[in-house]
Amino acid sequence: MRGASRTTPAAALAALLVLSGCSGSDGGGGEEASSNTLRIIYQKAGDASPLDTLMQTTKEQFEAANEGVTVELEPVEGTDEDYNTRLALSQRSPDTAPDVFYEDTFRLRSDVEAGYLLNLDERLAGWDEWVSFNEGAKEAGKADDGSTYAVPLGTDTRVIWYNERVLEDAGVEVPWQPESWNDLLEMARTVKEAQPDSRPFSMYAGTGTGEGTVMQSFYELLYGTESGGLYDEESQKWIAGSQGFIDSLAFLKTLYDEELAVTPAEALDPNVWQVVLGTMLPENQMGATVEGSYAPSFWQEGGMLEWPEYADVMGVAPFPTQDGQEPGAVSMSGGWTLAVGAGTENPDLAFEFLTTAMTQENLLQYTVDNSQIAVRTDVADAPEYLQANPFVEDVSAVLDVTNYRPATSSYAEISTAVQEATEAVITGGATPEEAAATYDEALKAIVGEENVVEE
Amino acid sequence: MPLLPAIVLIGIFLAGPIVWSFYGSFTNAALTGANAKNPEWIGLDNYTSLFADPLFPKSLLLTVIFVLVSAVIGQNFLGLGLALLIRRAHRPVSDVVGICVVAAWVLPEIVAAFVAYAFFFRDGTLNQLTGFAGLPAVDWLFEHPMLAIILANVWRGTAFSMMVYQAALDDVPQEVTEAAEIDGAGGAKTLVFVTVPMIRRSIATNLMLITLQTLAVFTLIYVMTAGGPTNRSTTLPIMAYEEAFRYSDIGYGTAIAVVMLIIGAAFSLAYIRLLRERNPS
Amino acid sequence: MSVPFSSTPTPTTTAAPRTGGAGSPRGAHRGSPSWTASAVLGLIALCFVVPLSWLVLASFDAEATYETALPASFSLANFTAILTPEQTFLPLWNNLILSAGSAAVTVIAAVLAAYPLSRFNTRFNRPFLYTVLFGTCLPITAIMVPVYSLFVQLNMLDSLAATTFFMAATSLPMAIWMTKNFMDSVPVSLEEAAWVDGASAMKALWHIVVPLMRPGLGVVFIFVFIQAWGNFFVPFILLFSQQNQPAAVSIFRFFGQFGTIAYGQLAAFSILYALPVIVLYVLVSRVFGGSFAMSGALKG
Repeated sequence: MRGASRTTPAAALAALLVLSGCSGSDGGGGEEASSNTLRIIYQKAGDASPLDTLMQTTKEQFEAANEGVTVELEPVEGTDEDYNTRLALSQRSPDTAPDVFYEDTFRLRSDVEAGYLLNLDERLAGWDEWVSFNEGAKEAGKADDGSTYAVPLGTDTRVIWYNERVLEDAGVEVPWQPESWNDLLEMARTVKEAQPDSRPFSMYAGTGTGEGTVMQSFYELLYGTESGGLYDEESQKWIAGSQGFIDSLAFLKTLYDEELAVTPAEALDPNVWQVVLGTMLPENQMGATVEGSYAPSFWQEGGMLEWPEYADVMGVAPFPTQDGQEPGAVSMSGGWTLAVGAGTENPDLAFEFLTTAMTQENLLQYTVDNSQIAVRTDVADAPEYLQANPFVEDVSAVLDVTNYRPATSSYAEISTAVQEATEAVITGGATPEEAAATYDEALKAIVGEENVVEE
Repeated sequence: MPLLPAIVLIGIFLAGPIVWSFYGSFTNAALTGANAKNPEWIGLDNYTSLFADPLFPKSLLLTVIFVLVSAVIGQNFLGLGLALLIRRAHRPVSDVVGICVVAAWVLPEIVAAFVAYAFFFRDGTLNQLTGFAGLPAVDWLFEHPMLAIILANVWRGTAFSMMVYQAALDDVPQEVTEAAEIDGAGGAKTLVFVTVPMIRRSIATNLMLITLQTLAVFTLIYVMTAGGPTNRSTTLPIMAYEEAFRYSDIGYGTAIAVVMLIIGAAFSLAYIRLLRERNPS
Repeated sequence: MSVPFSSTPTPTTTAAPRTGGAGSPRGAHRGSPSWTASAVLGLIALCFVVPLSWLVLASFDAEATYETALPASFSLANFTAILTPEQTFLPLWNNLILSAGSAAVTVIAAVLAAYPLSRFNTRFNRPFLYTVLFGTCLPITAIMVPVYSLFVQLNMLDSLAATTFFMAATSLPMAIWMTKNFMDSVPVSLEEAAWVDGASAMKALWHIVVPLMRPGLGVVFIFVFIQAWGNFFVPFILLFSQQNQPAAVSIFRFFGQFGTIAYGQLAAFSILYALPVIVLYVLVSRVFGGSFAMSGALKG
């Protein structure tokens, strides 16, 4: 008796400890260890999330087709930045790594190198619908070794979205077609004069908006300069000492200094895009901004920032090159994919889930709901797609002049350095020259001197 | 034997990470990329980069400012002042004041952080108030991020110092202060020459504890400014988080953690010494 | 991490419950109260309360902004909007598991550890106590990066149980201090009688000492509970899936997504989440008298 009462509490505690140590995520996380459960991690932005709808539908179809298999959906709410961190945190441990997940194309190579993604080559070869995906889109899922690790859900482009009413009221002729950076400033100054409290032409900047800062702002500038982009494909080196980089920063500085854009403080808010798309444009406080081709997904019926009149009020224009040089306009494309976790216990089931999500019917619905640019040719030809919103044709047209981010594993860190440069400039912390020099230093520290080419 | 559960828990979850942090800071472990798969031993590289990183001295300085101004000056003096005033005020007033001050402290940290964010936000309550006074609106979180987080930390943490000093003042014998005043010493004089020396142990203890607490503040800053703009409020805990989890560089973030641990350990040891002198065995 | 109470213990022998401190100043009999002091205090209190008033007013205002304003119409819309299982109940339930779980583990481990420390004078005691105290002081925020790495190694990520134990461990040093202090005030003579009757030390502990120090253990339990309830950083790093997330993290996500839109709902959610700890705190101060634990633990 004495022995028993002595050890009970201690033993119970020790047992609990062991339990928690061994069973890992059994604490509540999931039964993912069991062989007929699939865990899917994806991002859920807002209450009305087209991706969430797609996942729910796929789950239903998949479970109906595979009796006894349970699909556990794990939507992650939050910003892109937040989602990427969450995903990376869970991928580190085999027990929490998902079977299928939503992956940003720019993280792909880095995550392949980390060994998080399953090579899909063989399985794709045996999937008869893979031929329906266009070649450009297929590229997005490839890693440095030439193998494919992810299947694209859609792609996108970036264009200028302008409010025709604001421009017309200021005497700017619509449809408006800027041909150089000067045309942008001219419009912005004209509108500012007519409507002093407006934000005539806003572009994102700073680390708050993350990839949005570079994709929907800085790269449109940089890739339209003589210097070109961040990375020299030919020599496979990163570009430092670029005049285009300085010019692009200087352009942003002008926008913010002359109060043509949102205030620097607003720009640093990660949610500023919600205010831009949800308030400033609909309420005629903003002339124009650079945004993704997917902007209508927020405005259309059932969207997160519903604004039914957008189709009548908004217009789009391609973003011009610096001085109007060839090819005249510039855009950026990215996109998201679905990938299979390298550590999945059920690669076949996981791949089947992925293909279920990617059927023509499912992908058409998602492409329309999320205002994506189609990656399947049979989606691109569907009338529902072409009539999804009045801008489908315009935003697809710039695919001819679009650019892709350098898809190397160090890209993510370099992107942050670029965002920091824009932040330093718009907050007055550094001149464009200083910020560009800081970026060059950071770049060398990240990839090593030997991988940098001075322009 | 009865100590076992405590030792196991502390061993795994407190000592474990501390030992691990020394090891981890010598590797290039990462969340993504090739280093995630095969982290390598890179010796002191993380530390050499850390000491070469211009953000590090800046972050260290911001941390020192944050601790010094918000805790050592703000919370400490305000807490002492409140404790003294509460003894002189009318009973209902002191009761209500006690509740108000403690309320900010009892709130979960994330809620307190949001409240502070809303208060300092450009369309928030503080600008509303300064607007009544005819002052121009200031974007506090953007233009004066350090001031905002310092004031927020004073608001949130003063209750602790106040309670420590209330308890300490309760132990000061009435007769001593009364005697001083009869001898003609004024209130201020009595405070400086009689009361403060008598509670100096509590003052030292309190300073040490609030320093350690403030050194570790993460949530408040993360929610209010996330370290920005342009790293103007990036204290060490924020820097460690950003490097490790946002920029995926676990090894580097761990090296920052080690620096924080060493600073924390120095203060802890000083604190323990203080107690030892106080309680000779 | 702000660590309410956790850093207060000092080696002390006078831990008897006592009243005093906040709300019951003994200075009352120290001459007549001063109007100036009251006025100054009132002013300071106002500064402390103004930020909080936004929280309360906004939660009842369907059209709340970040400005403090009386709601045009008193509305419960914000509360009804967030009272869904996914948004509120599950996160709060997770919070309850984490907090109650770590409080229970902490109290059990602390009682066991405090007993020999309080009753038997060995050479081991002092170093152990100082090590524990050292642990109390370390900034937990500082070790979150290595803790994450450790959890990766041990396969404990995204596990409520493991996170519970981690939180228990972080508050254990403090709890051992407080428990030892409370235990010191229980007279040894009662146990000695039990030993004479042939009871083991453990039996004496559970049947005689623990019941006598119930209020003290209640305080320890509640303090660990409050601390765990309010913790944001630990679950933010260690728990990812929605079904495991406690309210602090889901509030943060909510803010990240709707922070520029749904101010009122954010305020309402915050209030629901803060309410339990406020109630517990009031309970502690009512039942045990003022800042009893604070003064009990602090005075040496």
